[in-house]
Amino acid sequence: MEIFWIISGLTILGLIGFGLQILAVRSYTETTRKPGEERDSVGTFPPISILKPLSGLDDNLFDNLESFCRQDYPKYEILCSIQDSNDPAYRVIQKVKEKFPEKEISILVERCNDGLNPKVNNMLPAYRHARYPYILISDSNVMVDRDYLRKNIQLMDNSKIGLVTNLIKGVGSKTIGSLFENLHLNSFILGNVCFLKKFLDISCVVGKSMLMRRCDLEAIGGLRAFKDVLAEDHFIGEKIRERGQELILSSYMISNVNEYWGLKRFLNRHLRWGKMRWKILGYKYFTELIGNPVLLSLSSLLFEGPSKRALIFIASVSLAKGVGDFYIGGKIKAQLHPLAYLLSPMKDLLMGLVWFMSIANDTVVWRGKRYLIGENTALFPCPQKGIWTWRYRLVDRIRARVA
Amino acid sequence: MLLCDFHIHTNYSDGSVELRKTIDLFGQAGFDVIAITDHVVNGESYYGKVANRFRFSVNEKNFGAYFSHIHEEAKRAWDKYGLLVLPGVEITKSSLSSDQSAHVLLIDIKTFISATWDLEKIFLEAKKQEALIIACHPHHTSELMVIDTLYLWNNREKYARYIDAWEIANRDDVFNVISLKKYPYIAGSDFHRVRHLYSWKTMLNCEKEVAAVKQCIRYNRGVAITLFRNGVPS
Repeated sequence: MEIFWIISGLTILGLIGFGLQILAVRSYTETTRKPGEERDSVGTFPPISILKPLSGLDDNLFDNLESFCRQDYPKYEILCSIQDSNDPAYRVIQKVKEKFPEKEISILVERCNDGLNPKVNNMLPAYRHARYPYILISDSNVMVDRDYLRKNIQLMDNSKIGLVTNLIKGVGSKTIGSLFENLHLNSFILGNVCFLKKFLDISCVVGKSMLMRRCDLEAIGGLRAFKDVLAEDHFIGEKIRERGQELILSSYMISNVNEYWGLKRFLNRHLRWGKMRWKILGYKYFTELIGNPVLLSLSSLLFEGPSKRALIFIASVSLAKGVGDFYIGGKIKAQLHPLAYLLSPMKDLLMGLVWFMSIANDTVVWRGKRYLIGENTALFPCPQKGIWTWRYRLVDRIRARVA
Repeated sequence: MLLCDFHIHTNYSDGSVELRKTIDLFGQAGFDVIAITDHVVNGESYYGKVANRFRFSVNEKNFGAYFSHIHEEAKRAWDKYGLLVLPGVEITKSSLSSDQSAHVLLIDIKTFISATWDLEKIFLEAKKQEALIIACHPHHTSELMVIDTLYLWNNREKYARYIDAWEIANRDDVFNVISLKKYPYIAGSDFHRVRHLYSWKTMLNCEKEVAAVKQCIRYNRGVAITLFRNGVPS
């Protein structure tokens, strides 16, 4: 009996937190921009180097890249870096380059193995070739509107501002995996990013879009300084903050297009992100459990059994969560079918499982390679020999057999 | 070289993706040439009756709409992606016996060709329309739930002269008999679902024009096949 009320209390706490997240998202989406002087002449828009690390075919890749070629901005270059010309993304960027001959697009094919973080490895050649004083790191799976560069650069209106990052929303679900991905991006990720900024003044740096001055990045060691950590975006932000500069979370929302994801890909990504947060946050990571009211409410079944009270409680919490997600989806124009939100509680349950799995082991598989993660997401090569690695090898064997 | 797929179905027949999305999928992935080849099923057989009943087949009535929709989308694909889209059909003569079943791709056709005609008449009409004739999945496949289509292979002495190329690879299967017989070849995905994007494809060393593509396949020079995959193997 008492345990049920404890669980109920924690669940209601989680729902209150979720309500605050909704308020934070609403306040962000209703903010047009941070006050700052409008820049209206060409001279006040400094040239920008966009680093685009490419690896494989992301959903909507052609349109994503095209959206950067259509920027209403006087001078910028797009540096697409790729590890291998046999990568299918190579053909796509070549086509985009042919379509926009007037744009400064460079394709850099270089197998760089300087560090263990594959994304940083991929970006290092582009960073070396970048010519302009502003650097924008932009993932290949994001699509932006024409005024994206203009709006972001406006926020860097004084030297105290060290980095501008953006809110992301997931769009384009056509499979169950991509639907879960977009639901999670639009509720848990977006909600927490807005909540932390709005109520605790903590800026989460989203690696999908990071605008910095080159001199600031150089002052913290350049990209190379982050080649051996999993959460390079978080630590770039941390180092910039340590220099006394401000991190700005722009209310300008960018789209992460996820159309044809499988369930496995969705779980794999969030397992990686979960492990990353566990390594960065330590015991604070346990507060995320309270941020999953659906899972908490379901745990009442363990103590109460399938009683009428427990089932009504679970159904009410699931309904509240689904309605909340639907509201956020409407606010950010996520373009999801209203019935899709019926799956929101199921997604939360899956994420509860992922939460537990994230603390269960210290390895991560990223772009086909397995790494060990240490303190502060430091990456180490996963040893292939030694008796203690048997379990990783066994899991890999079983997975290969099943495949 | 041009990255091509000449065997693609949409929801005009039994594909799960609509035509526009199919074209976008291939365009976004950087393809150069594709052919849309929805099934035209022989309505006489039990299989054909079921296919027509549930609209898993292009027929004489909706062929005009199908054809003009492909042309409309082909123009968009060319403007947006530089993707050449060819109209086609897969003549589907299916029966419960694999020895009696034959599937043939007719690429760049101009008017409707019925699957109820006998094969020779179909081939002659396709030749008249200057369409490419491709024998698809001509040998045993790994698909458990599908009846193999062996008729053309079993009667190759009779029909090989009409056929411009044989599918040497289809989705995940490779038919080494085509290589042993030294027949002209291409490879295709037999695309029905999004995951079929990652499968065997044809590479052509020619200009991105309809005539050049057809000539390249017919002469079968500068043709290669590739297993199109995404990302690194785990």
